[in-house]
Amino acid sequence: MLVPLETLIDGVVRALTEAVAPDVGTRYARGQLFAAVDVLRNLRDRIEEKAALQRLETESAEAALGAVIAALGDEARAVVAALAEAPAEPPAARLVGLRAALVRALAVVDALPPALAARARPPLAEHLAMQALRDVTVLKPSLLAEISRG
Amino acid sequence: MDTAEIGARLERFLAARLAADAVHLARLERSTEGFSQETFSFDVDVERAGRRERRGYVAKREPVAGLLEPYDLEPEFRVLHALSADPLPSPPTPWFERDPAVLERPFYVMERLPGEVPIPAAGPDGCGPFDDAERAALAPALAGALARLHALDWRARGFTFLGVPEPGRGAASRELARWEARIAAAGFPPSPPLTDALLWLRRHTPASDEVTLVHGDYRLGNFLVERAGSATKLTGILDWEMVHLGDPLEDLAWCTSRLWRAGTPHASCLCAAEEFDALYAETARRRVDPERLRFYELLSVVKMIAIMLTGLRAFNEGRTPDLRLAIFDHQLPFLELMLGMVRGWLAGGA
Repeated sequence: MLVPLETLIDGVVRALTEAVAPDVGTRYARGQLFAAVDVLRNLRDRIEEKAALQRLETESAEAALGAVIAALGDEARAVVAALAEAPAEPPAARLVGLRAALVRALAVVDALPPALAARARPPLAEHLAMQALRDVTVLKPSLLAEISRG
Repeated sequence: MDTAEIGARLERFLAARLAADAVHLARLERSTEGFSQETFSFDVDVERAGRRERRGYVAKREPVAGLLEPYDLEPEFRVLHALSADPLPSPPTPWFERDPAVLERPFYVMERLPGEVPIPAAGPDGCGPFDDAERAALAPALAGALARLHALDWRARGFTFLGVPEPGRGAASRELARWEARIAAAGFPPSPPLTDALLWLRRHTPASDEVTLVHGDYRLGNFLVERAGSATKLTGILDWEMVHLGDPLEDLAWCTSRLWRAGTPHASCLCAAEEFDALYAETARRRVDPERLRFYELLSVVKMIAIMLTGLRAFNEGRTPDLRLAIFDHQLPFLELMLGMVRGWLAGGA
């Protein structure tokens, strides 16, 4: 996720109080609305992203980067350096560092002769595919139609 | 400024522009479909020389923050204004106003065309917004309108102010650079799937000397439609915010992109992408080069990611209270999945 959870919750609270509350007509509904706001405001400083999801992505990224380094040998110096720059802790910071190392690896591979690049592409592609599937698996069915129609 | 104040100001604006004895607002509604510019649909009763006439308009106002910032409504207004009398179903657009005293931010007003705007969202039954008869009527109509749009003589109409791309790779390079700049401006760390796509696009920028007017957002969700079974009609092409001069296949790829299929196998929920390409090629008398189309197919997803990142930046920085922009944070993974399909690193890819 690109937007911090705290920012998302602050945004929901702002929308509920500024855009929704003025148009809520019954006292009971307004009471429920402000209870929701109260819950959200008190949730914001007690939650963080699920560690299990971060761990899966971290392990997958580490495996892909390791395979790229093994496949490219000396040509992977920039990837090794980027991997070394990824902090060991905390998990969220390590994940950010690993993503940056993957970005570096993709650029390195892109600049290589095709035959050499072909040796490093499969582990990167496998990671991208598996991570994309992991990312969408946790998502709920979209309410875009309701959001658009109002 | 609340909606009532906007209505009152629009009344005064129209009274002056129409040179009417009086203009009375009969209805004003803020649209929810568009996530970018603020859109107000309204009806007015115009009194002139003892006669009273009801007219429908749409006002598009620059938002405080949004998906395509920084905003400049003037280029699209100039195009729409110039096309007002054209048989292409674009809304006649008579007025543009930059003076902040009128509506605080720049806006333009166009005549409201008949019809509804079907959106690219799956219905409860998992189908798209059209039945078979509607799809059969609309697919050739949309392909034909796109061909007509691309056939416009942009030099004769004075559209060079949109910027003429350099020959060869100029059009594709300029669009790629435009969207890369937006991605960079959003300020988020580059994601690996997006990086992979950008690297591929840079290596496969196609050459073409075909330069046409490009709508830029030609797809389901920006069409006005009057439903009547097999007589269903396309009544308007809306949302010209991204209009520019470039490669016509950019519009074709955008219209047929996976982005607008709403869970159906159909381009813009109308027909198979290959069928739409063929309809367009026949009407436009233009070969649809598969290599160029592939470039723009991938660029389409990248463009949408850039748009979402721009919206997320505005939300993240607290410059907009519009919570609809926050949903992009959890929609991005779907787009990265599409990148994988188009690039081929995910099963089901092209």
